[in-house]
Amino acid sequence: MDESPFQIDTRGEFSFPENHKFDAGFGLTEATIDYICDAKGEPDWVRQFRKDALRKFNEMPMPTHWAPEGINDLDFDKIRYYLSHGTMPYKDWEDVPDDVKRTFERLGVPEQERAFLAGVDAQYDSETAYNNMREELSKQGVIFVNSTEGLKEYEHIFRPWFGKVIPVSDNKFSALNHAAFSGGSFIYVPKGVKVAQPLQAYFRINSESMGQFERTLIIADEGAELMYMEGCTAPKYDSATLHSGVVELVALKGAKIQYVTVQNWATNVYNLVIQRGLAMEDAEIRWIDCNIGSGLTMKYPAVVLQGRRARGEVVSISLAHSGQLQDTGARMIHAAPETTSNIVAKSISIGEGRASYRGEVNVLKGMKGCKNNTECDALLINPVSRTDTYPAITVNGNASAVQHEASVSQVDEEMLFYMQQRGLTRAQAMSLAVNGFINDLVKEFPMEYSVELRRLIDLEMEDSIG
Amino acid sequence: MDFPQNMSMEEAFALAEAEAKLNQALSESKSRFENAVLPNRLNEDWRFGRPHKYAAALAEQLLSDTPSQGEAEVEHAGEAAVPVNADDEDLRQTEMLMPTIGSDALLGMHLERFGNGYALYIEEDTNEPIVIRYKTNSLYTPSTYIMVAPGVKAHIIEQHYGSEKGTIFATRNIQVAEGAELKVELTPYGCARSMVITNIQNMGGKVAHYSHYFACDWAREETLAEIYTPGSDIQLFSANHLDHHQVIDQHTRQIHHVGNATSNLLYKNVVDDSATAIFAGNIYVAPGAHHTDAYQSNRNMLLSEKATVHSLPGLEILADKVRCSHGSASAPMDEEQLFYLLSRGIPRADALNLVAYGFLQDVVDKFNRS
Repeated sequence: MDESPFQIDTRGEFSFPENHKFDAGFGLTEATIDYICDAKGEPDWVRQFRKDALRKFNEMPMPTHWAPEGINDLDFDKIRYYLSHGTMPYKDWEDVPDDVKRTFERLGVPEQERAFLAGVDAQYDSETAYNNMREELSKQGVIFVNSTEGLKEYEHIFRPWFGKVIPVSDNKFSALNHAAFSGGSFIYVPKGVKVAQPLQAYFRINSESMGQFERTLIIADEGAELMYMEGCTAPKYDSATLHSGVVELVALKGAKIQYVTVQNWATNVYNLVIQRGLAMEDAEIRWIDCNIGSGLTMKYPAVVLQGRRARGEVVSISLAHSGQLQDTGARMIHAAPETTSNIVAKSISIGEGRASYRGEVNVLKGMKGCKNNTECDALLINPVSRTDTYPAITVNGNASAVQHEASVSQVDEEMLFYMQQRGLTRAQAMSLAVNGFINDLVKEFPMEYSVELRRLIDLEMEDSIG
Repeated sequence: MDFPQNMSMEEAFALAEAEAKLNQALSESKSRFENAVLPNRLNEDWRFGRPHKYAAALAEQLLSDTPSQGEAEVEHAGEAAVPVNADDEDLRQTEMLMPTIGSDALLGMHLERFGNGYALYIEEDTNEPIVIRYKTNSLYTPSTYIMVAPGVKAHIIEQHYGSEKGTIFATRNIQVAEGAELKVELTPYGCARSMVITNIQNMGGKVAHYSHYFACDWAREETLAEIYTPGSDIQLFSANHLDHHQVIDQHTRQIHHVGNATSNLLYKNVVDDSATAIFAGNIYVAPGAHHTDAYQSNRNMLLSEKATVHSLPGLEILADKVRCSHGSASAPMDEEQLFYLLSRGIPRADALNLVAYGFLQDVVDKFNRS
């Protein structure tokens, strides 16, 4: 640790005493759902919706025929499905409880700096703890609220798109989220509005065995543009916690959405997130994804290219150290002609860590002029590290072109030798080499995230090499 | 068991241990077939392969009263070729221990019909290629065994003829010893159903394998190439031109149990009309198999609006200090190449054929050079 130029604990392996106003207890039953609905004061149609989803969740099988084996250890009865300090989001920074503030300070984000951020939506446990919309945003007609508020206040916009991109019966975890969702953001950007600053939401899990079922819906109306950032760290706990979010993006004609995630849960967290975007004519959706934490991550951001000339992109970095399986990837569904997509995925496996790329590219029947490019690169740090690549590519018809390339390599000994000769320790040299490997992708992240990312990689390298 | 008189205690011990291992493997294999279910939609090794249609149809044929009936011929083999006899327990056991890629249940049915085909024990260099020919107009289930002795060079051509829409379901066990060089060509022709399960075990030799399916309605290939000794090299090639409603479903595994070895794969398909090509490959590098070089490439040329390609190139790398890569590309014919030929007065139909032929011929050339 002494060799690090950075001394900030960005792994976030700490916690604070729990003090919850609402706690739905362990396991998920109809009673749990009633508890959640009562606590949140939700309308009847939501209650019924949740119960229908619960039934589907119980009926549907686990995806055991293809999923990594680790998913079998997940026990749905040992998870708490709803915890909250209260239903009212904190409107003012002064009202944010001190322990929550301390958590944010440990993340290395000072209060003053955050004041500049364009509408921080700090999600603490299942509810939004801090929700500060800048006046500017409201003037432009941008709606940026938590999903509970979105459902209540903006039902006319929220409800028509709710569960449309990712239906209840899409898979077991989608059904689970529809039954137990709480937290997450709802964003609507009106026609032609280009949001200049990125919208941010920091959130974290802070209770043992606590499931976080965040539900985010972002709608960019015709010609609108926005960038949304989400970053998470979690304290380390002994028993497994589950994070199974659903993120739906809708980019209407000519709209652009960029969604940035930096994920650094503790290694006892299951991170099973469904992210899917719907891109209409001339629209563009970019997922920029970085997975560093959690024991098992299964996350395959998808873009359904629904309109002519729509464009989808996934930029993904994953880092797996011992005890971690990062099963990440991307899905591109070309459902309209002349659609293009690009996937760039880089993974780093350290110690006994395992990083997998699992992807799907599908050019549907009758679609002409579609193009996809996929690149996957894996870096292995130790002799026992593991990496896998499982792409599935389907092309229909003779008017589209799809290409996929993947390679596996390790850090060149000569490169390390050169740097060590010039006075760097082995850990520093390795850290520099790894940062070089992902450098072109890190540039895609906003400034503060790329700084945080480099710190995290430094830390990981020290743990494994130093 | 009886030990030979001059055997030392250590040798007898090792032999007994090997025997115990074999017996355990055989009993495990027995339960493997008892527990095996027919490929279904949850079988990832049959993804996109429509098992409910094709695997079920083949199974129905195998479970019917239709006997395995066909001709087996061999040329230029001299003393090396021995017909497979239903009583040959050693060969039967070899087939029982064969790995499959998702088709244990079908292999079990093949075993029920064991007793056709040829075993080749090659101890001398072949001057001209050995030709094995299997023909049927109904259903035939041959087993082929190819064993190449250390340092021996051999070239084998295996032909399957399914006249009048016959079905040939073949298994092949290929073992190559240290320093041996083996080239194998597999050419199934005219089969209603062609299924071939191949297990290549390389103990330090060089193997080049080429398959070309021609005019088969449905073809499924499962090729497992395993490397057991450093210095081994395996090259897998395939080139196919599909039209009408033909379906080809190719699955490969390049398994590196040890390091310091190389493997390479190049599978190309030209897909016309309403044909479908499925390729699912995997490179597996076992823990500790450092200094492995393994490559895999799947290229598809689509010629019709109704043509479909599914490509699933995979990597599973459990060791560092390796060089592994894979690539997959599916695209229409290059318009520039076509334009070049058209501008020189070549009729469109001929030009199309020429470009497609050139695309596939590349594979044949690489095989011939290997």
